[in-house]
Amino acid sequence: MATTSRRPVPALFRPVKGGPLVKHVLLIGFGLVMLYPLLWMISSSLKPEELIFREPGLLPSTVTFENYTEGWYALKHPFGYYLWNSAVITALSVVANLVACSLAAYAFARLNFPLKKFWFALMLGGIMLPHHVVIVPQYIMFSELDLINTIWPLVMPKVLATDAFFVFLMVQFIRTLPRELDEAAEIDGAGYWRIYLRVVMPLCLPALATTAIFTFIWTWNDFLSQLLYLNNPDNFTVTVALRTFLDASSDSSWGPMFAMSIVALGPIFGFFLVGQKYLIRGVATTGLK
Amino acid sequence: MSSGKKMWSAALLATAVLAVTAACGSGGSGGSGESADGKIKLRFSYWGSDARQKMTEEAIKKFEAKNPTIDVEGEFSDFASYYETLSTKVAGNDAPDVITLEIRGLREYADRGTLADLASSVNTADFDAKVLSTGAIDGKQFAIPTGVNAFSLIVNPALVEQSGQKLPDDSKWTWDDFVQFAGKITAGSKGKITGTQLSWNPAYLQIYAAQKGEPFYNGNKLGMSPQTIKDWWGIMQNLIKTKGAPEAAKSSEIGATSIDQSLLGTNTGAMGMWWSNQLGAAAKASGQNLELLRMPKLEGAPTGGMFLQPAMFYTASSKSEHAAEAAKFIDFMVNDPEAGAIILSDRGLPASSKVLAAVKDKLPETDKKTLDFLDKVKGELAEPPAAPPKGASAMEDILTRYSEEVMFGRMTPDDAAQKFITEANASIAG
Amino acid sequence: MADSVAVKPREAATRPAQGGNRSTKRSRREARAAYLFLAPWFVGLLVITIGPIFASLYLSFTDYSLLQEAKWVGFDNYVKMFTEDPRFIASLKVTTVYVVVSVPLQLAFALALALVLDRGLRGLSFYRSIFYLPSLLGGSVAIAILWRKVFGADGLVNAVLAIFGIQGPGWVGDPDTALGTLILLHVWTFGAPMIIFLAGLRQIPSSYYEAAAVDGAGTFRQFRSITMPLLTPIIFFNLVLEVIKSFQSFTQAFIVSNGKGGPADSTLFYTLYLYLKGFKSYDMGYAAAMAWVLLVIIAALTGINFLASKYWVFYGDDK
Repeated sequence: MATTSRRPVPALFRPVKGGPLVKHVLLIGFGLVMLYPLLWMISSSLKPEELIFREPGLLPSTVTFENYTEGWYALKHPFGYYLWNSAVITALSVVANLVACSLAAYAFARLNFPLKKFWFALMLGGIMLPHHVVIVPQYIMFSELDLINTIWPLVMPKVLATDAFFVFLMVQFIRTLPRELDEAAEIDGAGYWRIYLRVVMPLCLPALATTAIFTFIWTWNDFLSQLLYLNNPDNFTVTVALRTFLDASSDSSWGPMFAMSIVALGPIFGFFLVGQKYLIRGVATTGLK
Repeated sequence: MSSGKKMWSAALLATAVLAVTAACGSGGSGGSGESADGKIKLRFSYWGSDARQKMTEEAIKKFEAKNPTIDVEGEFSDFASYYETLSTKVAGNDAPDVITLEIRGLREYADRGTLADLASSVNTADFDAKVLSTGAIDGKQFAIPTGVNAFSLIVNPALVEQSGQKLPDDSKWTWDDFVQFAGKITAGSKGKITGTQLSWNPAYLQIYAAQKGEPFYNGNKLGMSPQTIKDWWGIMQNLIKTKGAPEAAKSSEIGATSIDQSLLGTNTGAMGMWWSNQLGAAAKASGQNLELLRMPKLEGAPTGGMFLQPAMFYTASSKSEHAAEAAKFIDFMVNDPEAGAIILSDRGLPASSKVLAAVKDKLPETDKKTLDFLDKVKGELAEPPAAPPKGASAMEDILTRYSEEVMFGRMTPDDAAQKFITEANASIAG
Repeated sequence: MADSVAVKPREAATRPAQGGNRSTKRSRREARAAYLFLAPWFVGLLVITIGPIFASLYLSFTDYSLLQEAKWVGFDNYVKMFTEDPRFIASLKVTTVYVVVSVPLQLAFALALALVLDRGLRGLSFYRSIFYLPSLLGGSVAIAILWRKVFGADGLVNAVLAIFGIQGPGWVGDPDTALGTLILLHVWTFGAPMIIFLAGLRQIPSSYYEAAAVDGAGTFRQFRSITMPLLTPIIFFNLVLEVIKSFQSFTQAFIVSNGKGGPADSTLFYTLYLYLKGFKSYDMGYAAAMAWVLLVIIAALTGINFLASKYWVFYGDDK
């Protein structure tokens, strides 16, 4: 059942004559608006530090890479060290979320069991409470377990599928799939595990890609829990390290901060570029005929 | 065969694999007591920038070299998240052994039994007694000042000159002079340079109130009359009226930024009010020579009202298992000239006269200027105020909010002054 | 869907008829399987989610400074909130305006762009990446500075207005417009819902379109009868989650207003106020009570959302 066939007619947005050009112009114009902040950041990272706020224009009058070299070595460890710390946590989180959330989502979307609605409501309820009040009890718990300054408090919640966002996301995606597919597989003698692994998951590739992309970005950008649980400078992650360039009351190193922010954007943007390739049209469902 | 069993094992396996990978990836060490090598582990929390982090790590290394049995672990955070993480740790019974605090939050922690008395364990012989007393509450020395500051006016003489004005004689200038001066700068530069930016720092109001003979706090209440607060707002309203300061919206926009992005820092304004140890940051941002001035005075005021205040305090957790070592570390940080030589004026000009004398020549230019300025005004300073009551951490927010209401004309000064006093009193009553 | 031209999922295969005995056995097997699939989630619920939630509920009935033991005070926090705290009411209003305006705007934007960027043009993945960039910057401190660069008194917007001879206000610093700029900031980071919409579009089985094309359905008809209905679960997801997330908006207001919610409380979001209460005024009991009030509000809205979804959301597994 794995014949990928492209949709024959581009629905709604079939290119009409002259259309693409107009569209490109519009999209590029819009893209510039979207890009302005990034361009500003790049330009700022290339300015001598003292000019960042004094020189309002987008084009730097003098270009220097000093901020990059300075920022890379400004902290206790070279910046790559923090990139690695973030990468470890992020990679584990992505794998954990993909497995754990899809397992739970399959059950919620496809299987019937007692108290299903109750559990589902409870799951959503978990993300309705502002996290600021949960931080303290959670910290107390991890502290009792002696897990402060380990990556456990950051990764364990992912292994245990506590992020309702992704469970709910996958539930919705699975539910868009026609149930006939499962049933066809069932008639062929497949159990739930095989249906999950061989039928539902391949069809959910876009949802899995979305989950991977978001988990990656959000974990990478997460700040407070990383600061709270990894506050030894040897365990710092990128976001925590970036904040140390700033000081509210005195001397902030804006130049290195912008430079390293650009560096830190690299991995997430890269992952996004790779990840979005998997937002491909799902495997054709011809098997259902 | 049962596919059920297979599923069991598969699900368990998946969880286990993840758990194991997670465990392997964990590089950190557990959070308590002693390091693996039998050393005593001391946790020290502070906030700041990369520069401060480097400096502090260096000082810590020095300390460890002198005390090979102690392993100090710096717990660093940015200022915006400092108190959130700190209070969470305290709540989790996981307080760092040595804690950096500001004066406004000191009673918050001291009054709740979080801090240990350091009177007998840290040598304070070389401290100015009055400055030291700001860290004492009910006769107990809970906090050791790191260094001192004075809230003052920072000015850019070049921009003043550029606007065709001359620096005032700050030993006898009044608030009226100040407002006029600011207005003239704006006018003289055809609006290219603004006279000053507004400040809603409680220290500013405190100085003004002192000139009227009123204390900011009186026990667990505000000590100022509504009239004082209204008159104070009057200065700012006049500044806006004479264009000596930007209009309300721009003022509140600038007010939410750091000193690097201030009018002074970007060379678009000639004056601003900050703590004296921020001179260096302002000078670095503007790239020009900046000077400190005395705050203006009310005509006939008995005192200029300016005062010294510790930039920060070192405190020790009352729950610390290593109280003696914690005190030893604090003692090293404030009294050891070697530590002083590394930290210099990063946490205010050293509070210990011995350390100050030892590092004086090593201070950067702007700090020498600050030191000279503080020496110059020493005789006129008011007594350093005691630690404010609990709830004072929110004072700046409350004051800023009501000040903005007045500047935007959304509240009358009368109404706002009353409401400010009511809310501030409620906040510090607890 | 009466005129649906595609393979109609509803009428394709139906479940094989089952005898009573077999069906109970089957459903027991199914339930057991479900709980196995949910095993990690259950552990997480017990170990990580439930405990802190109940802890916060308990704390909401206490006077708790974080630094001292909590003291039971009954309903005091809740009473105080509704009777003597004008800032609580104000923060609720600010947040409601923010949610009501920014969520539909952002979702409409995201959906429109997802449709444009789905296919039919060269270089779409390039555009997608660019449009997603603002969302990558999300909670970065740089955003606060950038926002002032754009909407400040001397910012980009006013520079453009000046070309037309209009003297714009300081949008960020004016209490009348500050919230508006934060709403725009939210709309500007439409990347996440856009990606989810895109993924949703990609998941619609091509066979539906093929069958529709064979039946001679036009582009618009395909859009109305296939794309839209099959996308409703995803629209629904985005709606529910954006409502929940927007009510909890914190970071952007926190960084743009330097943690104050200013000017003059005009951007005092609910969770920002909660945060200030809990961590700046050391009144975590009150903050916890606020959290539970918010939970009730969000839960009620989500409940309404789910009830309403019966009328417009179409699932592939509907029978």
